[in-house]
Amino acid sequence: MATATAPDHLFNLRNNFYLGAYQAAINNSDLPNLSPDDAIERDSLVYRSYIALGSYQLVINEIDSSAATPLQAVKLLALYLSSPDNKESTISSLKEWLADPAIGNNPILRLIAGIIFMHEQDYNEALKHTNAGGTLELHALNVQIFLKMHRSDYAERQLRVMQQIDEDHTLTQLANAWLNLAVGGAKIQEAYLIFQDFSEKYQMTSLILNGRAVCCMHMGNFDEAETLLLEALNKDAKDPETLANLVVCCLHLGKPPSRFLSQLKLSHPDHILIKRATAAEESFDRAVQSVA
Amino acid sequence: MLTKFETKSNRVKGLSFHSKRPWILASLHSGVIQLWDYRMGTLIDRFDEHDGPVRGVHFHKSQPLFVSGGDDYKIKVWNYKMHRCLFTLLGHLDYIRTVQFHHEYPWIVSASDDQTIRIWNWQSRTCISVLTGHNHYVMCATFHPKEDLVVSASLDQTVRVWDIGALRKKTVSPADDILRLSQMNTDLFGGVDAIVKYVLEGHDRGVNWAAFHPTLPLIVSGADDRQVKLWRMNDTKAWEVDTLRGHMNNVSCVMFHAKQDIIVSNSEDKSIRVWDVTRRTGIQTFRREHDRFWILASHPEMNLLAAGHDSGMIVFKLERERPAFAVSGDSLFYAKDRFLRYYEFSNQRDTQVIQIRRPGSTSLNQSPRTLSYSPTENAVLICSDVDGGSYELYCIPKDSISRGDSVHDARRGIGGSAVFVARNRFAVLDKSSNQVLVKNLNNEVVKKSLLPIAADAIFYAGTGNLLCRAEDRVVIFDLQQRMVLGDLQTPFIKYVVWSNDMESVALLSKHAIIIASKKLVHQCTLHETIRVKSGAWDDNGVFIYTTLNHIKYCLPNGDGGIIRTLDVPIYITKVSGNTIFCLDRDGKNRAIVVDATEYIFKLSLFRKRYDHVMSMIKSSQLCGQAVIAYLQQKGFPEVALHFVKDERTRFNLALESGNIQIAVASATAIDEKDHWYRLGVEALRQGNAGIVEYAYQKTKNFERLSFLYLVTGNMEKLSKMLKIAEVKNDVMGQFHNALYLGNVRERVKILENVGHLPLAYITAKVHGLQEEAERLAAELGDNLPSLPEGKVPSLLMPPTPVMCGGDWPLLRVMKGIFDGGLDNIGRGTADEEYEAADGDWGEELDMVDADDLQNGDVTAILEDGEGGEENEEEGGWDLEDLELPPEADTPRASVNARSSVFVAPTPGMPVSQIWTQRSSLAAEHAAAGNFETAMRLLNRQLGIKNFAPLKSMFLDLQAGSHTYLRAFSSTPVITLAVERGWSESASPNVRRPPALVFNFSQLEEKLKAGYKATTAGKFTEGLRLFISILHTIPLVVVDSRREVDEVKELVIIVKEYVLGLQMELKRREIKDNPVRQQELAAYFTHCNLQLPHLRLALLNAMSVCFKAKNLATAANFARRLLETNPTNENQARTARQVLQAAERNMTDASQLDYDFRNPFVICGATYVPIYRGQKDVSCPYCSSRFVPSQEGQLCTVCDLAVVGADASGLLCSPSQIR
Repeated sequence: MATATAPDHLFNLRNNFYLGAYQAAINNSDLPNLSPDDAIERDSLVYRSYIALGSYQLVINEIDSSAATPLQAVKLLALYLSSPDNKESTISSLKEWLADPAIGNNPILRLIAGIIFMHEQDYNEALKHTNAGGTLELHALNVQIFLKMHRSDYAERQLRVMQQIDEDHTLTQLANAWLNLAVGGAKIQEAYLIFQDFSEKYQMTSLILNGRAVCCMHMGNFDEAETLLLEALNKDAKDPETLANLVVCCLHLGKPPSRFLSQLKLSHPDHILIKRATAAEESFDRAVQSVA
Repeated sequence: MLTKFETKSNRVKGLSFHSKRPWILASLHSGVIQLWDYRMGTLIDRFDEHDGPVRGVHFHKSQPLFVSGGDDYKIKVWNYKMHRCLFTLLGHLDYIRTVQFHHEYPWIVSASDDQTIRIWNWQSRTCISVLTGHNHYVMCATFHPKEDLVVSASLDQTVRVWDIGALRKKTVSPADDILRLSQMNTDLFGGVDAIVKYVLEGHDRGVNWAAFHPTLPLIVSGADDRQVKLWRMNDTKAWEVDTLRGHMNNVSCVMFHAKQDIIVSNSEDKSIRVWDVTRRTGIQTFRREHDRFWILASHPEMNLLAAGHDSGMIVFKLERERPAFAVSGDSLFYAKDRFLRYYEFSNQRDTQVIQIRRPGSTSLNQSPRTLSYSPTENAVLICSDVDGGSYELYCIPKDSISRGDSVHDARRGIGGSAVFVARNRFAVLDKSSNQVLVKNLNNEVVKKSLLPIAADAIFYAGTGNLLCRAEDRVVIFDLQQRMVLGDLQTPFIKYVVWSNDMESVALLSKHAIIIASKKLVHQCTLHETIRVKSGAWDDNGVFIYTTLNHIKYCLPNGDGGIIRTLDVPIYITKVSGNTIFCLDRDGKNRAIVVDATEYIFKLSLFRKRYDHVMSMIKSSQLCGQAVIAYLQQKGFPEVALHFVKDERTRFNLALESGNIQIAVASATAIDEKDHWYRLGVEALRQGNAGIVEYAYQKTKNFERLSFLYLVTGNMEKLSKMLKIAEVKNDVMGQFHNALYLGNVRERVKILENVGHLPLAYITAKVHGLQEEAERLAAELGDNLPSLPEGKVPSLLMPPTPVMCGGDWPLLRVMKGIFDGGLDNIGRGTADEEYEAADGDWGEELDMVDADDLQNGDVTAILEDGEGGEENEEEGGWDLEDLELPPEADTPRASVNARSSVFVAPTPGMPVSQIWTQRSSLAAEHAAAGNFETAMRLLNRQLGIKNFAPLKSMFLDLQAGSHTYLRAFSSTPVITLAVERGWSESASPNVRRPPALVFNFSQLEEKLKAGYKATTAGKFTEGLRLFISILHTIPLVVVDSRREVDEVKELVIIVKEYVLGLQMELKRREIKDNPVRQQELAAYFTHCNLQLPHLRLALLNAMSVCFKAKNLATAANFARRLLETNPTNENQARTARQVLQAAERNMTDASQLDYDFRNPFVICGATYVPIYRGQKDVSCPYCSSRFVPSQEGQLCTVCDLAVVGADASGLLCSPSQIR
């Protein structure tokens, strides 16, 4: 374990980004005296923050063809998310780049590839590019992919790698919380503590509040979850996860969830909760038919 | 050794602490006695009357006296308040070595080179006993602290213990003294008052000092043989116990420590040595470079020692007395003796947690120095000076918090200081490399970080941050960013106290308090002349701190003040309201209630919370010059005004705050010229002409008054002024007034009257008063002055004021705040009244939407039946696939290289699938989204065929079974399965059943609501609620068998209501069939209802039948109603009336299908009675009964199951399956 000495200029930026304080990340990105590598990382974080905020077009317009590979990769993500029409072309150019030995190994490009293939639900393809790891972000993404695949054993292995690299890193802690939530049981409490640590240490974001609320719900404490979620709603009235979790929470509290549900339907018609609900409705009707 | 105070002077031969005040007397070889305040470090007084060295000095315990004895053979008794020697006791024939007051009697014991010890009565100023026996200089003599004993040491190499019991008996009352005087003289030198009890021989040279143990029968002595000897005595004998060797030269003084089992000695070898009494070994040695030690003294109450040497003296402590503690929320952890203890502030409970120190560590100052606590992990870090700075980490088991006798294993390590920086991380300072090691609770290094400054201590500064201290500055360092967040130049900081919200920090140095923000932006500094000890923030952001002798406060703006004085130092742990919690030096928790009014008041002022200020003034407990001066100084004279009674102060404050009304009142009360004048000036400044005029009138300041009238254009008053001037014979005044008025004639008259005829002439001439001019010209004759040619004269008239008279408009702001403030307190808001809508049993005819419920949504067209099947297939197939153990795949996974070798693992089984595999409860299948199996289960268990009413419940169950977690940015969210019955001890990866959105208690709530609606006569509403209960029950899961029975009971209860209410609503629908109406009303009374509802149903049926002239039936209902003993008198009365009316005519007008004598149930569909013995069929779910023709139909009560279908019964608990 080497003693770290140099100040980490991008620390706050990264943290803000990982914890969902995207606007804060953008606003505080004007950092002096960055090395060229740091500057590229800074830019990619800022653009990814814009993507997280839904400003795809801004990212597409601002990154021109002369930008560095990581930024190009970020642009691909923006293109992919901006419209369903772009998906195919984006994926094909993504595959092309990944095949290029000169840039194919770029961690950001691989990360973006992982994200895009995750959206495609092609986890095998995603893992093909991300499994080797290399950065904490890639490992964190791996954790998430494995969780999506319901393979918490693999996720745990990834997490251990992350913990060896930097146990106190925000991403490590986050990934730990995700895994804890996924495996459930007593680990939920640990996840809760992790989110609580975050809320004490950094500015409250709806991501942190949602994390805490989800933990509360899993511990059967729906009243506290509701308080947290309403606080999150105060921060960002359109946050899809807040709304979705509020729906769930209201259901458990015996309160009508309709308002949050319709809000979610309006603002994020493609949210997984809506999708699930639609699918459930269909499956109900189907089931009625088949049982009848 | 912790040196508290040092002096430089001539050789110090005698020392004495004052028992209460922070004073010490030092008698010098030069003959001077010094009185020092060792806390403030100042010389208070010096007493210089002895001739030659003063070797003995002693304070009296309670009187303002001290005694001294010197080489001039004199014993002097001094009063330090009067700064003088009261008297001198003569008698000794050689140098006096020591003097000491008795703790109880008015006695002084003195030891002298004349080989005697004398006991004196300082009240009668006589020698009452002479103790002879030593045959060399007596070097010291002291009273025993409790018994009638004296111990003395002499150069004759002996220590002697004297019994003075007889002397005490002889002098019970001081009055006896005088009577005994003559007798005593006869006893002189042969006295029997004091006898030698023991002679302790053992030293090989002259003994310099001997002292009693404060409680035990022990004596310690020091001699020129360089040895310290320990002696023990009993009633009959005394013997030598042990010898402590180590001093390199004559031992000058030796004593037992009052609070610890140690002996302290000093010597001409320039050292002070500390010895362990029980082990009789040296613990520690303190050396001085050049000074031989001569004397030791201990404080009678506190843990302080003093030693005199060749060039002065030192006041010191052997060990730190500050208990190490850490506060976390309501709890305080602190170290006391060998234990870690736990104290709860709210209930003031104090418990021992664990043992933290192995017994037997003898060296001094090894006790815990600091303590750091992590509440979530319940772990404690204790730092001490052991091994040059080390820490111990204890994880406190949660259950043993109340009882802990065993020694807990600690994880140890070396480090300058150690402190928790996060829940499960602590930082350890490695001074040698100036690094911080971040460790986890297993004491493993997680991270290392180089510090930005050469720090010698680290403190907590919020999660992940450290406050590093160097000699002259502190910085806050972020361990993750490795960046300095804040930097402040400070004196050497000893303690760091964060405010509750972590926004402000108080840095305590020896003599200063620095308040800074969390980024170390300096806010204020307070300097103290005496040591700052501790502090804590109160909830309002006031910093409360203690010095050696005060509790003080510091406001955010840097204002400070004293809250109260202290007898002994305390260490504040927490401030809550006006209670200050603290630890004292004995490690005891104390709660001190203080008067917080003053600082809260000042804080309110500072925060501009004038409403608070006002209410505090109103309930005024604070007053006094200090507050007034403070208010004035801070620019709040108008507030100070509220406190002041003295008119002069009031006047000054009123002027300062511009409150003219009060100033006038005060000025009137004072009525002095100077005050009126100042009032006038202020009024003029404010433009309050009325007051100005009044003030000028009062001061008879006519010139100013005239000018005031002039500028305000008050011509009338101005003319009056003219008159007044005339009366007063004030020519100048007259002239001025005339000039102001523009009254030329008057001016001419004045000039003429005073003899300025030429001037009068010119004035008249110029202003065209020809008559006057000519008359004056005649008088003047030849002396007529000539007027300049070619000038056109004009009358100079003062300009007209813009606004005549009156005051200037004023803009007052402060007035509103402080005068209005009084009214605004305690205005409550009107309670909202809630009017309950009146229920109506009679008229509600809303139909239930039962039809819709039945017909709606059932016909939904399934477009993609095949797709659904496929999904199902896939689910089943997945399931098989996943039976494979995941390990089978792992060896193939390559983590190291990104290559084609990597094979992604097969997806795992979603939690929802696990749920369905394990469960045979419909609700859990529905929650898992497996609706088809859920339906099949319900069909099998309850014969349910109609699922349309259950649709929303199914969907809710499914929606409520998962939460959503946004993980990595821009990736799809993770859905997480919510499980039921979570507990802290649940093991991970073991799936519990899904959390369900419906539970039994909700249903009970609904039932209550249904009852309420029924009582209120809202049948449609009630029916809706009851039906929804019926519809929810199939999807409810309970834990125990007992609850299963309750659920089943609930089905029956609810079904009765549903049936009853359906009939009642039906009855209202049919208007044209009175017979049917009566029948339905009658049947309703046979549903199993709650008593109040039954009464209402009976009442209803009774009135329906009565109206339809079916008196006999009505009477039956009335009777039944009366049998229920209705609490409502109206009901009873009506029933009785009906009964009376019916008895006269027991007939029925129409025939009903109703025989109340014959028990029956009601068909749920046709609402006809099914009498006992008749055939019927029932609903497999709600168990409603039906006429046989209804078999195969949907149950009309629950609207779910098929009447007469086969079913295994309600399954709603895992306990039924086991």
